[in-house]
Amino acid sequence: MAEAAAVVAESLAGGRARAARTVLDQVVLPGEELLLPEQEDADGPGGAGERPLRLNAGARARVRVVCGPGLRRCGDRLLVTKCGRLRHKEPGGGSGGGVYWVDSQQKRYVPVKGDHVIGIVTAKSGDIFKVDVGGSEPASLSYLAFEGATKRNRPNVQVGDLIYGQFVVANKDMEPEMVCIDSCGRANGMGVIGQDGLLFKVTLGLIRKLLAPDCEILQEVGKLYPLEIVFGMNGRIWVKAKTIQQTLILANILEACEHMTADQRKQIFSRLAES
Amino acid sequence: MEGVMRSDAKICGESGTESSPRGLGCSLRHFACEQNLLSRPDGSASFLQGVAEKSREWLIRNTCEAVVLGTLHPRTSITVVLQVISDAGSLLACCLNAACMALVDAGVPMRALFCGVTCALDSDGTLMLDPTAKQEKEARAVLTFALDSVERKLLMSTTKGLYSDAELQQCLAAAQAASQHVFRFYRESLQRRYSKS
Amino acid sequence: MKETPLSNCERRFLLRAIEEKKRLDGRQTYDYRNIKISFGTDYGCCVVELGKTRVLGQVSCELVSPKLNRATEGILFFNLELSQMAAPAFEPGRQSDLLVKLNRLLERCLRNSKCIDTESLCVVAGEKVWQIRVDLHLLNHDGNIIDAASIAAVVALCHFRRPDVSVQGDEVTLYTPEERDPVPLSIHHMPICVSFAFFQQGTYLLVDPNEREERVMDGLLVLAMNKHREICTIQSSGGIMLLKEQVLRCSKIAGVKVAEITELIQKALENDQKVRKEGGKFGFAESIANQRITAFKMEKAPIDTSDVEEKAEEIIAEAEPPSEVVSKPVLWTPGTAQIGEGIENSWGDLEDSEKEDEDEGGSDEAIILDSITMDTGVEVSNIGSQDAPIVLSDSEEEEMIILEPDKNPKKIRTKTISAKQEKAPSKKPVKKRKKKRPAN
Repeated sequence: MAEAAAVVAESLAGGRARAARTVLDQVVLPGEELLLPEQEDADGPGGAGERPLRLNAGARARVRVVCGPGLRRCGDRLLVTKCGRLRHKEPGGGSGGGVYWVDSQQKRYVPVKGDHVIGIVTAKSGDIFKVDVGGSEPASLSYLAFEGATKRNRPNVQVGDLIYGQFVVANKDMEPEMVCIDSCGRANGMGVIGQDGLLFKVTLGLIRKLLAPDCEILQEVGKLYPLEIVFGMNGRIWVKAKTIQQTLILANILEACEHMTADQRKQIFSRLAES
Repeated sequence: MEGVMRSDAKICGESGTESSPRGLGCSLRHFACEQNLLSRPDGSASFLQGVAEKSREWLIRNTCEAVVLGTLHPRTSITVVLQVISDAGSLLACCLNAACMALVDAGVPMRALFCGVTCALDSDGTLMLDPTAKQEKEARAVLTFALDSVERKLLMSTTKGLYSDAELQQCLAAAQAASQHVFRFYRESLQRRYSKS
Repeated sequence: MKETPLSNCERRFLLRAIEEKKRLDGRQTYDYRNIKISFGTDYGCCVVELGKTRVLGQVSCELVSPKLNRATEGILFFNLELSQMAAPAFEPGRQSDLLVKLNRLLERCLRNSKCIDTESLCVVAGEKVWQIRVDLHLLNHDGNIIDAASIAAVVALCHFRRPDVSVQGDEVTLYTPEERDPVPLSIHHMPICVSFAFFQQGTYLLVDPNEREERVMDGLLVLAMNKHREICTIQSSGGIMLLKEQVLRCSKIAGVKVAEITELIQKALENDQKVRKEGGKFGFAESIANQRITAFKMEKAPIDTSDVEEKAEEIIAEAEPPSEVVSKPVLWTPGTAQIGEGIENSWGDLEDSEKEDEDEGGSDEAIILDSITMDTGVEVSNIGSQDAPIVLSDSEEEEMIILEPDKNPKKIRTKTISAKQEKAPSKKPVKKRKKKRPAN
C-alpha cells in the first residue's frame, strides 16, 4: 500500500502522464498515459506532450518499443487499457525501448499467434476439427496439422479429446487456427493429450507466473511427486501423477498458488515435503 | 457469431446506517467493493454504496460503449449483467460503478475508467451528493452523471425534475469533485487486489 | 453462449476419483460445501453461498384480493431466475427445462409443504390478503442450485417482516415501519432440499454435487425435509433405478444434513437480529470479508463543495449565450412546414434509429447514391410521396420502393423500379439493407 499514497495524488491530478520508468512493476489503471524514457528526457514528466513522436529524431538512435497486452500507442505516449502491473523487458542488444506490457489477472483468453494452448475438440467437420480454446470463438485445426498425418493416415482424434497445439492464425478479424506441428513438421510435444489426468482452469496471470523462468513453483512441485504436466496459455493446466490422490493434491496446490506470496508458498511446500 | 466476454456485477445499495445528520449533504456514503467474487464469469464485482428498466439499461450501455475499446474485439459481444440486490438511492450511479469495476476485473480493454455520481437538489436548492432513496424521493431534481477518469469529462447525464442552468453546473462541479474520491477508491481497491502479484 | 465442453479426460478422471471416494475439492462423500448466509439491510433480503454457488433471495409483499376458492388465505409466489451472470449457457428470459424443473421443485418443497401459515396472511376475508413473493436469483452456478435456492428461500422468508395492518370496520390501515414495528411471517417449519447425485447406475453416491460432478452424474435424487424429519417432497430424475434401501439411506443422511443446516440458519438469523438490536453495522457491506485482497472498503467521504457555485458561475459566464435565431416558418405544402435551415435530409437515419449496427458505412453509402430502398410496409415511404403514386413492381426479388431525395430536401419523388432494372446504381445498398433487416 505504500506505493499508493505516493502516486495517487499525482496520477489523479488529471490526465497527467507519468514516466513509464517510474511506475514499473506498479499497478496501472485503464486511461493512464505513460511517457517513454526517451521522451521523458526531452519533455520532462508532465511537460507539454505536444511535440511529435521522436523515436528516431536527431542524434538519438532509433529505439524500438513494443506495446504488449494492456497497452496501446496513443500519440507519442502509451495508453493503459487494462488494469494490472506494468512490466518491461529490455531488448537484447541496446538500451532503451524494449517491450512494455501489463500483467493482469484476467480469466478470458484472447488467442495470440504463437501461443501454446490446451483445447477441447468439440466437433469434427470434414477435414477440420473445431477446438474450444476458451476464446470468443472456437479455433480450427486441420487433421493434416499433426506429425506424420497424411490424407490416408488420419490422426486418431475424438470429440472431447484434449489437444495441445499452437496458434498459427490468431487475429481479431479471423477465426483462429491452430496446429500440432512446428515449422519443421515435428510434433515437438504437441498433439493429443492422453486420456488420463486432470484438466483444470486457472487465471491467465497464474499460467504466465508458473511459466516464468525464475518461478520456483514448478521445481518445488516436481520434487513432491513424479508428474506429467501441460500448461496452456489459455489458462488451462493438465496434470497427471501416479495416483488420483497425487493428481488432486497437485491440482489444488497449483490453484492455490494464485493468491500466495513467495514466502507463503515456501511454507506450504516445506510442510508438504514433510508429510 | 457467438460472443463471449462476460463481466457481471452485483449491485447493492444499502441505506446508510449512521444516523448523524450529514453536513449539507455533501459527502459520499461509505463504499465497499469486492472483485472477482464469482467463479463463472470472466469478471465480477459487487459494489456497495452507502449502505445500495430499459432506459437505465441504455444509459449504462452507452456509457460503457464510450470507454470500451470495442474495435479490439470485433465479432465478440461483451455482456454486462447487473443484478440489483437492494436500492437505497443513487442506484444508477451504483450500477455504473459496479459495471466499471466488473469490466476492469474481466480485463476488457478500456480507454478510461468511469464512475457515476448522483446529485439531488431539494426544495430550497441545497445540493446533496449520493442521496439516499428517501432524499431522492423528496428532492426537486435528481441528476446523475457519468464521468471519465482521464479528463473528468461527462460521458452520460440523466436528470429528473426542474433545475436552473446554474444549478446544473453546480451539480456537475460537485460530481467532478466526488468523482475524484470514487476514482481514488477504484485505484486503492485495485492496488490491494494486485498486492500479491 | 455455449458452455465450455467437458473433456473426455475430465469425465474419466471424475468417475475414477468417485470410485476411489475422492472428490476434487477434498470433500468426503456426504460432505456439504461451506454454507455462508449473509443479510442485506432490508428485511427479507439474503445471499446464500454454497461453496461457489450463490443465490440471492428477496421477499416482497403486497395487498391483493384473494383467490376465489380460498377467500381467507394469503398467496405465496416463488420465482427462481437463472441469469447469464451465473453461467454463460443460461439464456435470459428463456424458460429452459432446467429452470421449469427447479421452479416446480421449489413450489412443491415450500408451498405444498405448507411451511408458511397462509391463513395468518388474511387481512379482510374475501377482500384483502397479503401476497408474499419470493424472488430467487442465481448469481453464480457451481452445481446444486436447488439446495442453495431452497435455503435462500427459507432464510429470506424467516428474515422477512411485513408492514403491520389494522382493520376498523371496512378501513384497512397500513403502518410504516416508523409507526409500528413490521411483523414477521408465521412459519410452521423449514423445509430444506438435500441433493444426492448417483454415478455408475447408482453404484456411487455423492451429497451436494458441484457443477463438474453434476455433468458426469447418471441420476439425481432430491429430498426435501424439515428438522422434524418429515419429508416434504422427493424427486428422482435421470432415470436410474434406486433400491428401497438406497432411498431409505438417503433419507437418513438428509435428516442429519437438514438438522445441521437448520441450526446454521437459526444461528445466522439470531446473529443478524442481535446486531440489529444492538445498533451495530449490518448489511452486505459488513459480510464482505475484509481480509481478502479482492475486497476493499472506504468510509464515508466528505466532499468539499464550497467552490461549486463559483465554478458554475465561471462556466456560465464564459459560455457563449445560446444563439437566438428564429427564422420564419416556410410552408412547403399544406401540412409540411420548415423552421430554420434544417439539416441534410438523410432518410437512412429513419431506419437506422436503432444504432445497433457497426457498419454505418452501409447507410452512408446509400445516401451518397441518392437512393434508399425500403420495404413497402414501412410507414415512412408515404411521407414525401405526393407526386407519384406507389406502384408495386413485380420483381422476383422483393417488392420495393426507391425513394430518391431530390435536390430540395423537402420534396421527395417516389419512383419505383424493378430490382432488375436498377441493378447498376443501387444494387449495393439494396443488399446491405436486406442483410440488416433481421437485426432490427
